[in-house]
Amino acid sequence: MLAAALALILAAGEAAACARPQGWTGGASIAGELWTAWWRPEPAAIPVGAHFSIRFRLCGPPVDRVRVRGWMPDHRHGMNYRPAVTLNGLSGTAEGLMLHMPGRWRLILDVRGAAGREQLTAETVLE
Amino acid sequence: MTLRRSGAAAVRLPALAIATGLISGIAAPAPASDFTAGEERRILRHGPWPPALRPDPSNRASGKPAAIAFGRALFFDPRLSVSGAVSCASCHPPDRAWTDGLPRSRGQRTVDRNAPALFNLRFNRWFGWDGAQDSLWAQNLRPLLDGREMGIGPGGAARLVRSDRELSCGYRRAFGDAPGADDERVFVDLGKALAAFLETRVTGRTPFDDFRDALALGDAAGQARYPAAARRGLRLFVGRGNCAFCHFGPAFTNGEFADAGVPHFIEPGRVDPGRLGGIRKLRRSPYTLLGRFNDDAGRSTAASTRHVRLRQSNFGEFRVPGLRNAALTRPYMHAGSLATLADVVHHYSTIDEERLHAGGERILRRLDLSAREQADLVAFLETLTETAPRHESVGKSADALCR
Repeated sequence: MLAAALALILAAGEAAACARPQGWTGGASIAGELWTAWWRPEPAAIPVGAHFSIRFRLCGPPVDRVRVRGWMPDHRHGMNYRPAVTLNGLSGTAEGLMLHMPGRWRLILDVRGAAGREQLTAETVLE
Repeated sequence: MTLRRSGAAAVRLPALAIATGLISGIAAPAPASDFTAGEERRILRHGPWPPALRPDPSNRASGKPAAIAFGRALFFDPRLSVSGAVSCASCHPPDRAWTDGLPRSRGQRTVDRNAPALFNLRFNRWFGWDGAQDSLWAQNLRPLLDGREMGIGPGGAARLVRSDRELSCGYRRAFGDAPGADDERVFVDLGKALAAFLETRVTGRTPFDDFRDALALGDAAGQARYPAAARRGLRLFVGRGNCAFCHFGPAFTNGEFADAGVPHFIEPGRVDPGRLGGIRKLRRSPYTLLGRFNDDAGRSTAASTRHVRLRQSNFGEFRVPGLRNAALTRPYMHAGSLATLADVVHHYSTIDEERLHAGGERILRRLDLSAREQADLVAFLETLTETAPRHESVGKSADALCR
């Protein structure tokens, strides 16, 4: 129990200290309790009504699975497309996203690992 | 396992948020405008028009003059129907804005849906009211397969092309080889030639485009030429009316699907499932961008097909149509249930939210527009009509293909 708690504290500390991935010039970070994610869309400006991808890099304990989804809180609907996530350790790519309306969107990384599950949420407004 | 949900993080996205405003070519606000800066940004994203045109990589005939000529001949040829009496142009006459004016169209028999006007199709992601097709060439095969429309099928179509000297010659010029023994391959190629022709149907400039560009340039005199009622309607369109969430971008559609609150019943006891049925058909079809008939080995345009989600909330959703030339294409909605643009605006103004199969969505709301506001919205929609329409001469036949 103590070891698990210590691991969690260390992981959280690592997440808090998460630096921008090497070689990245843009992107944004989302800090959670277990993980911090750096992510960036490709293309850099998220288009309305066209497919885009995101690259992400997590800091924190090992990850078993990451799901990526979009949510439009004002309209209470998600995306019409299911992104495919490729995970390589703590790095990954989600392909096939599309935000099909202008307005306020949440991009949600649903991260799972032995340490727990966490939703990392970023918000952006598309015009 | 515990679930922790972080709050919406204070994401550092200034460059992104600004850049999203730049993707549609937005220029500096025009000082002479009476629109707010936010309204101007929303107006400017409906242009410029026309957009740049690129060939369809899934169709090796796309953009080729010989294929366009062959497709034109096929479009007007009634021999592509089992009765020999119905051509594509029967339901999509060019001199009536490429639609027949009927609520539900009639080929060999009456069908369940309205015949959409055939312009600006090259900008679509999905085709048909339910989006059961993911390419223009696949969409062109659907009426040839449906016995209520033309129904000739792969065997009949391939035999016709192989046996007719002019059609055979047109095929050879379009595709480089004589029609082969594989009926299905020849059949799909007819869809591709028809697509090459229909891709050329792009609507012309409109009064709205002139206003939009004047706004982008800060040209006060150009802006002043736009009628006052249309300006008021445009403000509603990009603002309180919430129209531009779905009718987004230069073509005035986001290319997706919505439940517009119109009846789903085709007749008592028979319902049109809309997008729900469309995705199911797409997944069963051999004629998709993921199949063997895609000419693009890299499947570069197949992302939507690969990633599309099927959800129960797709029931009763239909494709959001583009609004350019909408004033010419009455009646409206997927089964032609609304006769005029005024009826459409009135429908959204007084929409019965109880009828929506929205699954919790909150997009459409009763607007309670005044009579003047409704008239203003119609006035705006009428300014999306091209000022110099290109009329296709009816009666082009295969005779001229190879002379």
